Amino acid sequence: MDNKQPLLDVKDLKQFFRISNKFTVKAVNGVSFHIYPGETYGLVGESGSGKSTIGRSVIRLYDPTAGTINFDGVDISGKLSDTEVQHLRTNMQMIFQDPMASLNPRRKVLDIIAQGLDVHHLCKSKQEREEKVYQILEKVGLSREHANRYPHQFSGGQRQRIGIARALIMNPKLIIADEAISALDVSIQAQVVNLMKEIQRETNIAFLFIAHDLSMVKYISDRIGVLHLGYLLETGTKEEIFSNPVHPYTRSLLSAIPLSNPRIEKHRTSETYEYETSGIDYAKGVSNHIDGTHYVHATPEELKVWL
Amino acid sequence: MTEAIKKEEKILSIRDLSISFQTALGSVDAIRGVELDLYRGETLAIVGESGSGKSVTMKAVMGILSSNGVINSGSIDFTYYDNDEKIDVDILKLTKKHMRSHINGKHIAMIFQDPMTSLNPTMNIGAQIMEGMIWHKKANKKEAYQRALELLELVGITDAKKRMKNYPHQLSGGMRQRVVIAIALACNPDLLICDEPTTALDVTIQAKILELIKDIQKKMNISVIYITHDLGVVAKVADYVAVMYAGKIVEKGTVDEVFYDPRHPYTWGLLSAMPDLDTFDDVLYTIPGSPPNLSHKVEGDAFADRNIYALNIDHRLEPPMFKISDTHYAATWLLHEKAPKVEMPKALKERIERMLKEASDDGQ
Repeated sequence: MDNKQPLLDVKDLKQFFRISNKFTVKAVNGVSFHIYPGETYGLVGESGSGKSTIGRSVIRLYDPTAGTINFDGVDISGKLSDTEVQHLRTNMQMIFQDPMASLNPRRKVLDIIAQGLDVHHLCKSKQEREEKVYQILEKVGLSREHANRYPHQFSGGQRQRIGIARALIMNPKLIIADEAISALDVSIQAQVVNLMKEIQRETNIAFLFIAHDLSMVKYISDRIGVLHLGYLLETGTKEEIFSNPVHPYTRSLLSAIPLSNPRIEKHRTSETYEYETSGIDYAKGVSNHIDGTHYVHATPEELKVWL
Repeated sequence: MTEAIKKEEKILSIRDLSISFQTALGSVDAIRGVELDLYRGETLAIVGESGSGKSVTMKAVMGILSSNGVINSGSIDFTYYDNDEKIDVDILKLTKKHMRSHINGKHIAMIFQDPMTSLNPTMNIGAQIMEGMIWHKKANKKEAYQRALELLELVGITDAKKRMKNYPHQLSGGMRQRVVIAIALACNPDLLICDEPTTALDVTIQAKILELIKDIQKKMNISVIYITHDLGVVAKVADYVAVMYAGKIVEKGTVDEVFYDPRHPYTWGLLSAMPDLDTFDDVLYTIPGSPPNLSHKVEGDAFADRNIYALNIDHRLEPPMFKISDTHYAATWLLHEKAPKVEMPKALKERIERMLKEASDDGQ
C-alpha cells in the first residue's frame, strides 16, 4: 500500500467562515486524509461536523483557509491557473444529496448530462455528443428513450442515476458523493449503492463518500474517517474502526446505529457522548498512530485512558 | 404475550379502509382494504416503500386527507376518554370541524418528519406549546406556562425558562424535534402518530429521540404508531409491525414474528435489502422492478410481477390474509395448504439464525 501514490492527498485542511469581526466559524480544523485510486473513503459525522464542507473545499467550491490539497499530482489548494481549473473540473465530479434540487427542471436529461461536455468543448459533433449520453444512460441502468424527458418525469432513484450519469460522463478519477443516497428509500438505496460499486469495479474511480448512515458507509467504504466539530477524530480501515473504536465519540456513534434485531435492540441503550462535559479538548489533541492505517486524534493522556 | 394483550383495551380499529385520489390522470386507488388494530399503551410500526400508503392511512386517522381524497368504504373506530367518560367514535363519520375541535391535537397528536416545517417560524416555542392547551383545555395562561415548562423538561431541554422565548431557528434539529414532541404531548393525547420522526436527524440524535418517546410512552401510557422505512427503528421501538405494499397490508404480526419468522416474499425482500453491520456480500439484495402504478386496476397480487416466488394464481386472484398465529397474518398464496412449499432465501435464513443466536447469547 505504501508504494501507491494517493490520488487525493489532503493535509491539515482548514476552512473558516468569518461571520463578523468577532466571530469566525471554524468548520474544518486541521483535517488530513488521503484517497488512493479505485478506493472509497467514507466520511461520517453528525450534522455540523464539517463533512460536507470538506467535500466542497476539496472540489474548490470554497477557498481553503489553510492547508494543502494535492489531487492527481497537482496542488489545487491555492489560486488556480486555467489549465489547473480545466484539470480539476474534468477529473473531479460531485453527486449531490437531493436529486430533485440538483437537476435543472427546465432542461432535458440529454442536456443536463451533456453539460460538462459542452462546457469543455469535448464533442466535435452533435451525433458524438448524443452517442456519449446514450452510452452513459445505459451504464447507469436507464434507456436512451429517457434522454428526451425532463427531471420531474422520473422517480427519486432514477433521478439519482441521472446525477451519477452527469458525473460519470466526464470520465473523472474522483467522485465526491455528498449524502448521495440519504434521500432515497431503503430498497432504492441498495440499487444505487450496487450501481456505484459496479462502476467502481469497471472504471477504477475513487469515491469520497459523505454520509451519516453508518451501516451503508461500512458496506461501501474501504476506509472511514470520523468527524466531529471540524476535527477528524479517528480514521482507519472499516475493520479497524468497527472492531476497535478508540475515541469515545466513535463509540457513541457506533452504538447509536439501531440493529435490526428486535430482541437485542429492545434492551439496548446507546452510549452518550457530550463534548462539553467530557473534558476532552480537541484543540490540544494530535494524531496518534494505533496500528496499520488506524489513527486517533487525542492527547497522550487521553489516549492512555481509552486504550 | 397474547393473553396480556387480549385483556387490554382497543383504542384504534381500522376496518376495510379504501381511499382513492381523483387526479388529472384518473382515479388512483391509494389504500385498498386496510385492517389494523391498536391497543392502549402498545406501539405499532407501519413499514413500506414510499407510495405504499402508510402516510395516507395515518392522514385518514387524523382526518387531514387532501381535498381530492375520497373514502370509498371502511371505518376507523377510535376510543378515547373525555373527563373519564368513555367515548367511541367512527372518525370517518365526523365532520372536519368536529375533528378540529375535539380530536386533533387533543386526543390524537402527530409528529412530522421535518421539525423545521412543522414549527411556526414567527412564534416563540413557548407560545406554540401553550397554544394547544389554551385552545383545547381552556387552560389559562399561567397554567399553560407552567405545564409548558414541565413538558420542556420532560423532553430533555435544559434551561426551559430561557428556551420558552426562543424561536425555532435558534434551535438545532434535535432540539426542534424535542419541541415538536412537547407540543404533541401538551394535551395528554391517547394516540401519538409519528410520521418518520427521525429521518431528518443524525443517528446519535435519532437514538436519543426514540428512547425519549419510548420513555414518555411508558410514563403516560399512550399508544404510538410509527410510520417508517428504517427497520432498525422498528426493531428498537415496536411491539407490532404492519408491512404495507401498494395500499394493502401484506403482513402483520408482533415484532418477533415479522423479524424472525417472516412469511411474505415482500417482507423477505425488505429484510434482505437492508445491510446490517455484518453484511459483507459483494452485491446488496434488491427487490427487482418498481412498485405498481395504482391508477391502473390491480389484477391479482400487486406484488406478483416483482416476486420470484409468484404462483400462477398470483396473477389472477388477490390472496386473502392467511392466519399463521393469533397475531401473525400474511397475504400470500404461498401459505395456502395446496401451495408448493417455498422457503425464504438462504441468506436471510442464515441472518435470522445469526440474530437469534446473538439474542440468546445476550441472554434475551
